[in-house]
Amino acid sequence: MPMRTKNIVTVGIMSALLITVQVGLSFLPNIELVSLLIILTTIIYGWKTLYIIYIFVLVEGLIYGFGIWWINYLYVWTILMLITMIFRNKRSPFFWAILSGAFGLSFGLLCSIPYLFIGGVPMAVSGIISGIPFDAIHCVSNYVIALTLFKPLYHFLNWMNQNMQKNP
Amino acid sequence: MKESKYFLKVFLGTLGLFAVTVLLLFIFFNRNNSSSVGSKEILIQVIIPGEETEEFKLSTDAYTLREALDEEKLIKGQESAYGFYIVEVNGRLADDSKSEWWSITKGGEYIEYGVDMINIQDKDQYELTLMEGY
Repeated sequence: MPMRTKNIVTVGIMSALLITVQVGLSFLPNIELVSLLIILTTIIYGWKTLYIIYIFVLVEGLIYGFGIWWINYLYVWTILMLITMIFRNKRSPFFWAILSGAFGLSFGLLCSIPYLFIGGVPMAVSGIISGIPFDAIHCVSNYVIALTLFKPLYHFLNWMNQNMQKNP
Repeated sequence: MKESKYFLKVFLGTLGLFAVTVLLLFIFFNRNNSSSVGSKEILIQVIIPGEETEEFKLSTDAYTLREALDEEKLIKGQESAYGFYIVEVNGRLADDSKSEWWSITKGGEYIEYGVDMINIQDKDQYELTLMEGY
């Protein structure tokens, strides 16, 4: 398979995986696998993750509608990817659990940016404060999920990637 | 030696993360959101853009805004994982297909709590405004 086609297949599979786990776990408030999968895809596929993120974001908009939350999605996952790129060589599940937990905790803060322009500082601060319990859930769940699933998912995705690279 | 240093870093990182989380939760649950006991009179304004604002004076012993509004059958809504979500006020249903939703403000100020977590006091004034666009 030519490299270009392999890349398209990889991006397609990973985008579909992100959408599936997001929709599948959407009934749980702020408990998600998307953060961990973006961390893992960034570690394994590097900058290709940008394609994966924006296909995921586009399809999410098509499923749920293009609201203000969608503007948040345009940058929050990219921020996570960029932070992951800085620490891409780390393989400690504890490190990624702490980073993923911190991302979960700051999710409300990151998502408040559009509200600064809509309703000013009071609206943004109100949004951040009202979201604290959900950010706390997000933090703990991201920490636990990354700690338990980082290693097995990393090995699986890495194995899948290496097999794809090897096979002509 | 190297391993113990690593575990110390991990321990401190985890401790720091959860300390910040607990601190934020402490701030959230200890914010000024008190309720007065006994009879209270509160004013509710129902604001729909393009229509005349309706006012309701409620006399209630309820502790939360949701209880007070429920007593007068002013709101309908649904329980969700994120708390109680108002979908109808005074018979006016927020149209999901138009991205309509009900916003709650207190004296024009944004509130950090859901309707079932807002503790009311005598002479409070709340506005229920129909908004468009999420």
